[in-house]
Amino acid sequence: MKTIQIYDPPMCCSTGVCGPQVDPVLPLFAGMLSQIGGCGVTIERHNLAQQPAAFAKNPEVRAILEKEGTESLPLIFIDGQLELKGRYPQPAERSAWVGRARDGEQVKVAD
Amino acid sequence: MTTDNNSPFNPLPVRRLLERAPRHLFFTGKGGVGKTSLASATALALAESGKRTLLISTDPASNLDEVLGLELTREARAVPGADRLFALNIDPEAAAAAYREKVVGPMRGLLPETALREMEEQLSGACTMEIAAFDEFTAFLGGDGPGDYDHIVFDTAPTGHTLRLMALSQAWTTFFNENTSGNSCLGPLAGLGKQRSLYAEAVEVLKDSEKTRVVLVSRAQRAALKEARRTWRELGDLGVSNQCLALNGWFAPVHADDPVSRHWAERQSRAVDGESGFLHSLPLYRAPLLPSNLIGLDVLRAFFQDPEHAAGTAFADGTDDSAPALPGIDELADRLAPQGRGVILTMGKGGVGKTTVAAALGLALAERGANVRLSTTDPAAHLADAFGDTKGGLEIERIDPKAETEAYVGEVLAQQPADMDPDSRALLEEDLRSPCTEEIAVFRAFARTVARGADSIVVLDTAPTGHTLLLLDATQSYHRELGRQSRTTKHSEAIEKLLPRLRDPGFTRVLLVTLPEATPVHEAAALQDDLRRAEIEPHAWIINQSMAEVGTREPVLAARGRAEIRYIHEVLDTHAAGPVYSIPWSTVEPVGTEGLKALSQNERKELAR
Repeated sequence: MKTIQIYDPPMCCSTGVCGPQVDPVLPLFAGMLSQIGGCGVTIERHNLAQQPAAFAKNPEVRAILEKEGTESLPLIFIDGQLELKGRYPQPAERSAWVGRARDGEQVKVAD
Repeated sequence: MTTDNNSPFNPLPVRRLLERAPRHLFFTGKGGVGKTSLASATALALAESGKRTLLISTDPASNLDEVLGLELTREARAVPGADRLFALNIDPEAAAAAYREKVVGPMRGLLPETALREMEEQLSGACTMEIAAFDEFTAFLGGDGPGDYDHIVFDTAPTGHTLRLMALSQAWTTFFNENTSGNSCLGPLAGLGKQRSLYAEAVEVLKDSEKTRVVLVSRAQRAALKEARRTWRELGDLGVSNQCLALNGWFAPVHADDPVSRHWAERQSRAVDGESGFLHSLPLYRAPLLPSNLIGLDVLRAFFQDPEHAAGTAFADGTDDSAPALPGIDELADRLAPQGRGVILTMGKGGVGKTTVAAALGLALAERGANVRLSTTDPAAHLADAFGDTKGGLEIERIDPKAETEAYVGEVLAQQPADMDPDSRALLEEDLRSPCTEEIAVFRAFARTVARGADSIVVLDTAPTGHTLLLLDATQSYHRELGRQSRTTKHSEAIEKLLPRLRDPGFTRVLLVTLPEATPVHEAAALQDDLRRAEIEPHAWIINQSMAEVGTREPVLAARGRAEIRYIHEVLDTHAAGPVYSIPWSTVEPVGTEGLKALSQNERKELAR
């Protein structure tokens, strides 16, 4: 794993604490990102309410938004491939992704 | 050594505020104490002494337009008739709208309409307004702010709001320094990231006594002085050292034997005696009680140069009409007590007596056998003071923003899985330190309190106008958000039902509280318009502290009473769709159960005589 791109629904913050009630998946997901970020994976995270230009620039993201609306968010791409649509990863997926990030780190020599 | 004239009974005339004035002057205080008058008079005097001066209002309920006779915008405009004086208004809603457009505008045509609508919704919350206003505010404190002004005079928001802005500026500076992950909660601020250094600079400017002076404005009244002392201490704790106090509305009786005059003077002395420790701790200035508010440049000028004369010339104002006879709030209590349930919100500009009215009405309802819960979201809660030692058989609750935030943070952390990894927990805790958290926590408490109106009468004394509107606006955008988030998150019943409850005239009764003076009446009318936009119709108006119904020989007080009559008529004829109640100015201080009862009882008019 080299890159992960996340297109979040419009949110105030990445853990969701600013909503009337917290979605417990969000902080866990943010925690996972900080772990795989530590393995040298490039993370791009875009929030529709804050970085809309990133959504407009990506033709694939735009096409999905046009067709399926904001219900399709979040969109998560790993190394350019759409990995998840409309939800965040579950515990098993999170561990698997952290594993893939660590494998990548072993292959990669320090730059 | 500052031994010059520090006695509370010999404060300096207000024009001496000009001496050694630093670049930034902040006027702050409880609503209705005359911040706007003093800030405008000071700015005008600075401009006319040859300095290029900018007057800025950051108050969501600013009446600077009215004072200067100029429609203010977020861009500085030259004040006609005053050389070198410029003015602007930082309206949080307008600032948020401008910011929203900056983010959303370029995306039109590029993103689907539904996505644009969601973005706009997300950027309509209370956090965005606070942050956008704060962002504009700090731009003027930075070293090379726009316009090349010698002085910038801030007619700041009510104290709680001001404190939050300042605390925010510090919290964010710390936050930016600590937050290294770069993907955490900067909220709507993310789009403004380039200006981070400005926030840090703003904090330093506020603390620098060479650059900034804070003028605490107060009336010589117990609650207002207490509020000023609280602000003085909190600002001091934040490192703001250059502070002084301006006692506005200082009363010098002519007829010491007139009962109203005597009570007014006694109340003033008691208030000053009770705060003598505080009053000896900082430089003091005074300005006399005037028969009416300062509107227009000539009056502002006279006020600063020769306040006593300005007071005298304004005596001609008013009318020979007698005050219209209005029912008292005892009649309102008679009508509402049998309902036994629902929510009563007292709303209005800060300083009009929402807390006192809520407490007096709550007490009157309880006396009529209703089950009453009295609750306040006012950040500067005076409810405990209003009751003194006794509680009169009511259940009293305070919505304390700090305690609510702590409870909310604890609750959120407890919801997380026990085996949550340390990174995730650290990130979450970081987000919970963000300024948005308090808004959410207070909102939840508000929703919870309103829900209690299902089985008792809840009397809610809401926060000052601007804050109240932000709260209501927040409830609306959350309400809209429910549809979107309900797929992943369950909301409490209290939150889901909040807006329908507030809109139900059989459940929620909004009482617009005003003083019979120009500015409070106009601001209450503006608040009524805003409520109507949110589809909430006020139940009644309450005219508080009316001197018009009280007989006195004291010229300044009698003139104030006469000046009130046209505003009472304006409420009746132009603004109120429902009933109008009045509470005459009382010679009994509205503290404790006895003092509060005096406000709602029929014999109150006799009491005043």
